[in-house]
Amino acid sequence: MTLSLSEPEVRIDGLDKVTGVARYTADRAVAGALVARYAYSSVPHATVRSIDTSSALAIPGVRAVLTGADARGLRVGRRLQDWPVLAWDRVRFAGERIAVVAADTEAQADEALAALVVELEPLPAVLDPELALGPDAPILHPDAERYRFLGPGPRHPVDHPNLQGELVVRKGAASEEELAAAFATAPIVVEDAFETGRQHQGYIEPHGAIVTALPDGRAEVVTTNKAPFSLRLQMAATFDMPVELIDVDSAVIGGDFGGKGLSIDEYVLLLLSRRTGRPVRMIAGYDEELRAYAPRHGGRLRLRTALAEDGRILAHDADLLFDGGAYAAAKPLPELILPGGLDVLAPYDVPVVRIRLRTAYTNTVPGGHMRCPGELQAAFAGESHVDRLAASVGLDPVEFRRRNVVRTGAVSAVGEQIRRPMADAVLAELAATLPAGLPPDTGAGIALVARRMEGGRQAVTIGIDDAGRVEVVTGLPDQGAGLHTMLARVAAATLSVPATRVVVRRVTTSAATMDLGVGASRVTFIASRAAEDAARRLRAIVEAAATRLAGGPIALRDGRLLGSDGAAEVAWTDALAAIPAGSLPVTGSYDSSTDEEPGVDFTFAGLALVAEVDRATGVVRILDATFAADTGTVINPIAHRGQIEGGFAQGLGAALMEELLFDEGAVTTTSLADYRLPAATDVPMLRVIVLPDSPGGGAFGAKMAGELSPSTVAPALANAIEAATGARVRTIPMTPERVLRALRERPASRSGADPD
Amino acid sequence: VIRFVLNGGPVELEAADDRTLLDVVRNRGLTGTKLACAVGVCGACAVLVDGRLVSACLQLAGLLDGRAVETIEGLGTPDDPSPVQRAFVEAGGFQCGVCTPGQVVAATALLREEPKPDDPTIRRWMAGQLCRCTGYASIVDAVRRAAAAPAPEPR
Repeated sequence: MTLSLSEPEVRIDGLDKVTGVARYTADRAVAGALVARYAYSSVPHATVRSIDTSSALAIPGVRAVLTGADARGLRVGRRLQDWPVLAWDRVRFAGERIAVVAADTEAQADEALAALVVELEPLPAVLDPELALGPDAPILHPDAERYRFLGPGPRHPVDHPNLQGELVVRKGAASEEELAAAFATAPIVVEDAFETGRQHQGYIEPHGAIVTALPDGRAEVVTTNKAPFSLRLQMAATFDMPVELIDVDSAVIGGDFGGKGLSIDEYVLLLLSRRTGRPVRMIAGYDEELRAYAPRHGGRLRLRTALAEDGRILAHDADLLFDGGAYAAAKPLPELILPGGLDVLAPYDVPVVRIRLRTAYTNTVPGGHMRCPGELQAAFAGESHVDRLAASVGLDPVEFRRRNVVRTGAVSAVGEQIRRPMADAVLAELAATLPAGLPPDTGAGIALVARRMEGGRQAVTIGIDDAGRVEVVTGLPDQGAGLHTMLARVAAATLSVPATRVVVRRVTTSAATMDLGVGASRVTFIASRAAEDAARRLRAIVEAAATRLAGGPIALRDGRLLGSDGAAEVAWTDALAAIPAGSLPVTGSYDSSTDEEPGVDFTFAGLALVAEVDRATGVVRILDATFAADTGTVINPIAHRGQIEGGFAQGLGAALMEELLFDEGAVTTTSLADYRLPAATDVPMLRVIVLPDSPGGGAFGAKMAGELSPSTVAPALANAIEAATGARVRTIPMTPERVLRALRERPASRSGADPD
Repeated sequence: VIRFVLNGGPVELEAADDRTLLDVVRNRGLTGTKLACAVGVCGACAVLVDGRLVSACLQLAGLLDGRAVETIEGLGTPDDPSPVQRAFVEAGGFQCGVCTPGQVVAATALLREEPKPDDPTIRRWMAGQLCRCTGYASIVDAVRRAAAAPAPEPR
C-alpha cells in the first residue's frame, strides 16, 4: 500500500481552516438576505393570550412579523414532531419561540422585537421529572395523540401522559418475581442513587441557517445541521411537501457533539422567506444557544445490584429517569429514550438484568442528544456504583472488575453476543498505571466503558474529476471529526494511489446519495466500508482500461499502473482516457445488516487517574490520567487522537464544571462567561494506550473512537475522590460546593443523591 | 473620519460608525474572524491591534483611528500559510476549525512576544481561546512546533 495507515497525516480541510478560508453557515453571503430574530417566552409554562405585532410591523426595515397564528399546526421533530415552530396556544419552557421578525438589519429586527406586545398567562409549571410523573401533575401535552410520529410504526405507548418514552430491557430470569427472588436470596445487595446535571454541547459555532423559498415551490436550505437528509425528511413532513422540493446544504460545521442533529429555525425561516420573497438568515446568539436549543438530559439514576460473597455480580436492576424537557423533538430513536442508558453495566457479565429507561416531559429546555447520550450519565452512576460494590465485599476496584468483566461468549443486556471482548486487556493496562502509596488527600480511580458499534447503511460515490484526480462524492458533512479525510485515506489506500491524488467533494441533498448523516459514532465503520467498496470498483475499472492498453494484466501499485513484472507501465492519464464512456462515477455501498459474523462489535475503554482533593475548598485537581481503548485499526491518527483527547476534555467539563443552572425553570447561565467550558489551563495531559489486535468491522479493521472517553471521566474522578477522602460525590458536575458537602457528610450518608 | 490599516490596506469609516470591529471585518468579507460568545470569553473573534491580542466582538471600530489591525486573513493563505498556520495543520491542532483562526491569531501574538514559550506559558496564554473539539493537547503541540520552526522571512 502506498499509504501506510499508521503514518501521520494532515487533514484535507486543514489549510482552509487554519487560514480562515473555510466557509461556515454564518460566513455565507446571500444577496438580499433578511435577518430573522425571535421573541422568546420568559416563563416556563403559560397560555398565549395575545401578541400585538402592529407597532413592530411599522418599524422601518421590518419585512415580516410572524407569531404562532401564522404557524398553527406546524411542529418540528426528529422522530416525534411535538415542538411548535412558533408557540400558538401555549408555551412549555422559558426560551420557547413565540414570534419572529424578519428585517433588513439586525438592529431593526431587535427594535421590532422590543415593540411586540405579548400577553402570556402563566400556568403551573413542572420543573422536576419525578414530579412530572406524579398523579396530579399538570399535563404538558394534552394533544399528544395528534402529533406526527416519523415511524417506523406508531409511537410506542406510554403509561403517563408526561412520559416521552419508556423502555424496559430484561435479560436472564428477570420477570418481576424472578428479579425479586434474585435480590431476596442474594447475600449482598447494594443500592445507590445518582444525579446528573444538564450539560450543553458547547460547540463554538451556534446553530444557524439561511433559507430561500423559490417561486416554483422549492426551498434551498443552508444549515449547520449535520444530517441533511434527515432534516429534509423532517421538513417535508412538517410542511407536507415532497422531499425533492427541499435542497439541504450542510455547510462546514463548527462542532456538533450531538446538538446539530436538531434543527428548529429552518422551518420558521422558510415561512418568512415565503412571506417576503427574500432569503432569510438566522444565526443564533450564544445566549439563545444556551436557553433555546436542546442540551444533554439531566438524569436521576437508581441502581441496585445483588452480589455473591466472592464478589460475582448476580443481578442488576437500574431505573434511569431523564429530564426530557418540554419537547421530545430532539430525540432520534423511535422509543424516545436515551439508548446509552442501556450501557449502565455494559463492561460486566451480569446474568440477570432489568433496566428501565424513561424520559419525562418537564417545563424546561428540551433534552437533546449530546455525545454519549444517556451513556455518560449511566457510566457515572454505573462505575461509581461498581466501586461501592467492590467495597461491599472487601475487594479492591481492579480485582472486583477483573472478576466480573465480560469475556468471550458473553451477552449484553439486550441479548447481543459481544464479539472479541477486550475488557480484561483494557483493565490490565489501566491497573498497571495505578500508583501505590499516594500522599494524603490524593487518590486513584478507574472507570470502564463498553460501547456497541452502531451500524447502518451508507453509499459513497467515486469518480475522476477534470484534473484526473480521484473524486469521492458524499452528502455527509464533516462536523469536525475528520470524516472527509478518512474517506480520502480509505479510497487512496484501497486504490493504492497517493493521498494527494484523491479529493473529496461534499454535495447537497439533491446531488448526493441518501445517507443517515453523522452520528452515533457510526461513520468510521459504515462510511469507510462504503468508500472501500467504491474504491475497489473504481480500481477494477482503471486497471481494466490499462490492461486493454497494455495487452496484458496491469495493476495499480504505489500510484503506478504496472504489469506483473514491474516493467510494463501505463500512464495514469492514458488509462483514464481509455475508460469507456458512461462507466464513471461508480457508487459503493455498505449495509451492516448484511454482515454474516454473529454478534456485535463493542469497543472497550477505560480511564485511570490520580486526583488530589483540596479539603478546604473542594477543588479537585487531576495529577495523572491514562486512557486505554481497543479502537481497532486507526485510519486517521490525528483525528483518532483528537476524538479521544477532545472527548476527555468534554467528559472533564461534565465531571467538574459544566451545568446549565435554572431559576424558576429559566436557564440563568446564558453566556459562556457563566457557563464555563474547559480551557487549556483546565485540561491535564492524557496518556492514550491503543490496544492492538482487536479489529472491528470498518475498512481495514477500523472501529469508532468518538464516544468513548467522555463517559469515563466523571466516574473515574468520583472514585478517585472517594479513594482520596472517603467521601462519595453522587452528583455531577462535582463542583467544589458538592465536593465540600460530600466531605462534610462523610460517612453518614452512604446512599441517596446529594440534595440541591 | 476614522482611518486605520487592515491587513496592510487602508480603511476609512465614518466617525459615527458604532459597529464593532468584528462586524466591520466580516462585512468586508473577512469571515475568518468568527462570532461566537459575543462577550469576549471564547476567543473565536481574536484579531491583532498593533500586534496585541484583542476580542473583535468587544472592540468598537470607531476607536481604532491610526491603528493597525491584522486578521487571520492577513497572516497567510492556503497557498502561502504562515509558520504558525502550517504548524496547526501538521500538529492537527484543530478539528471543526471554527475556533482555529482565533487560536492561530493568539498563538501568533504569543510567539511574537515570547518566541520560545514553555508549555505552562502556552497553556496560560491560550486559556482565552476556547476549543470544544481538541482537548488542547494538539493545540499546545502546534504552538510548540511553530516556536521550533525557523524564523519566517519578514512578510
